[in-house]
Amino acid sequence: MVLYEIDDGHLGMREILPVESELLRMIPVWADGETDDVEGRLFPSPATDEEEAELRADWQAHVEPDLQEFFRSTRQIVEADLRSMKKDEDGFVVEFSLQHAEAWLNALGQARLALATRHGFEEKELSGLGPREIRTERDLALFQIHFYEMIQHWLVEILDRREFGADS
Amino acid sequence: MTMATEVKEVPASETRDQAAEDVPWNVVVHNDPVNLMSYVTRVFRKVFGYPREKAERHMLEVHHKGRSVVWTGAREKAEFYVQQLHSHLLLATIERSH
Repeated sequence: MVLYEIDDGHLGMREILPVESELLRMIPVWADGETDDVEGRLFPSPATDEEEAELRADWQAHVEPDLQEFFRSTRQIVEADLRSMKKDEDGFVVEFSLQHAEAWLNALGQARLALATRHGFEEKELSGLGPREIRTERDLALFQIHFYEMIQHWLVEILDRREFGADS
Repeated sequence: MTMATEVKEVPASETRDQAAEDVPWNVVVHNDPVNLMSYVTRVFRKVFGYPREKAERHMLEVHHKGRSVVWTGAREKAEFYVQQLHSHLLLATIERSH
């Protein structure tokens, strides 16, 4: 897979292998976490202090619905971009507006957090180079996390350069 | 002519709430093994407008010490920042500044 910038304000991925195209299509699926532990990570408590019960209740009632809506909107943007993925002689290709880059970054983060939470990965596993072999669902999840991480690195680099310029 | 002065009694709970509001509040970011270091730095720059060096310093403190107080001030604004950080998927909480 090759990641590239287009001068007209678009970003693209080309020469995408079939297996990579499947992993890309899974971004919004994984990001839409349904288990309690994943929900707990995507919507953490705003306070650790026991005395802040009122804040936690307010947060659940008023802030979490906004966050849920925001996360859903980022997944929908990515899902729509992925629907435009086409096949050419070198593999699959997908291009999307630079204005969608933040949504991609967020949806990739949701997917990585959901996968890491669901499979209980330790920091040591996540900071390594990824699995040396893929034999189990857990190995595949770790591979996915690293695959999404590569795309996140690329997006952060582009967005930092565009927003912060020479100081990036 | 005399002026009647009305003295309103503030309920104890309101006094306590006001005192809580007045205490400076910390916004704390906690370490998590998933978010990328470059991403966390980016979020600190975006949310707080910090220069790169300051954002990196906080990111490294989170990474090495498990947490960093990234901002201190009024409670309402602290809650706003925590919401912003949660929308960027960071583990953030507020706490009283001691």
